Amino acid sequence: MKRSISDLNELKDFCIRFCGIVERYTEYIIVSGFVAIASGRVRGTEDIDMIIRPMNIEQFIKMHGELLKNGFNAMQGTDPKELYEDYLKDKLSLRYTFKDEPLPEMEMKFSKDALDEYQFKTKEKLPLTNMDIWYSSINMNIAFKEELLKSHKDMDDARHLRLIYSEEIDEKEIMKTKQMIKRYRL
Amino acid sequence: MRDKTHDDFIERWVKFMKENPDKWRDIHTRFINSQLQMNREFLERLKKTPGGREKIIKLYDIKNVGAYKGLLGD
Repeated sequence: MKRSISDLNELKDFCIRFCGIVERYTEYIIVSGFVAIASGRVRGTEDIDMIIRPMNIEQFIKMHGELLKNGFNAMQGTDPKELYEDYLKDKLSLRYTFKDEPLPEMEMKFSKDALDEYQFKTKEKLPLTNMDIWYSSINMNIAFKEELLKSHKDMDDARHLRLIYSEEIDEKEIMKTKQMIKRYRL
Repeated sequence: MRDKTHDDFIERWVKFMKENPDKWRDIHTRFINSQLQMNREFLERLKKTPGGREKIIKLYDIKNVGAYKGLLGD
């Protein structure tokens, strides 16, 4: 089923719909590759990464129910209690797609440490993306890609972000984040 | 292959975006949508092949098979 809206690409449409539901239940940020793609990077992706604030199981069951009502499904199962206990609570991602479509998918997980907390603290909206959603900051995304992820694809994403947002890049902030990555993730 | 021409592409594309703020979104949208369309068309062909349904389930690690009946051709 084609779900695109004429002036939105399908990834954006999927992401906006998903974020619109999640934000009624908890705070979220979109991180990593989709930040670069929404900022005009020309490459493919299969998933969008979302970090949410931990919530209790009752809240999750309500949110999951609303996602189902709006045409989303979790690939890993149908029982929200199992999805909560076996994945989210275990710091693993839940993968949501539109019903009957394997792509794109939203990989949603709970925040887990001070670094994620800092990502929430410094979250921002990016008018250039033309999407009214919350992203982890450009500085954070560059730091993660250059210090932790480091694949060709990630280094190209970082380069793209550096060029697009050249006036807003804060090298001190990127360095600070890289130090935090070394402390919490490496 | 990632060589100098690959690096140049990123710079050329960003330059194009900045110089053509009214044009780049349409090009970008068509590019993203066409990849998803290619994926759908491929899966349609794959599910008609022997073992194709099982390959799709493995490929995407689908545990909630009931929610993807249309995709799997059930």
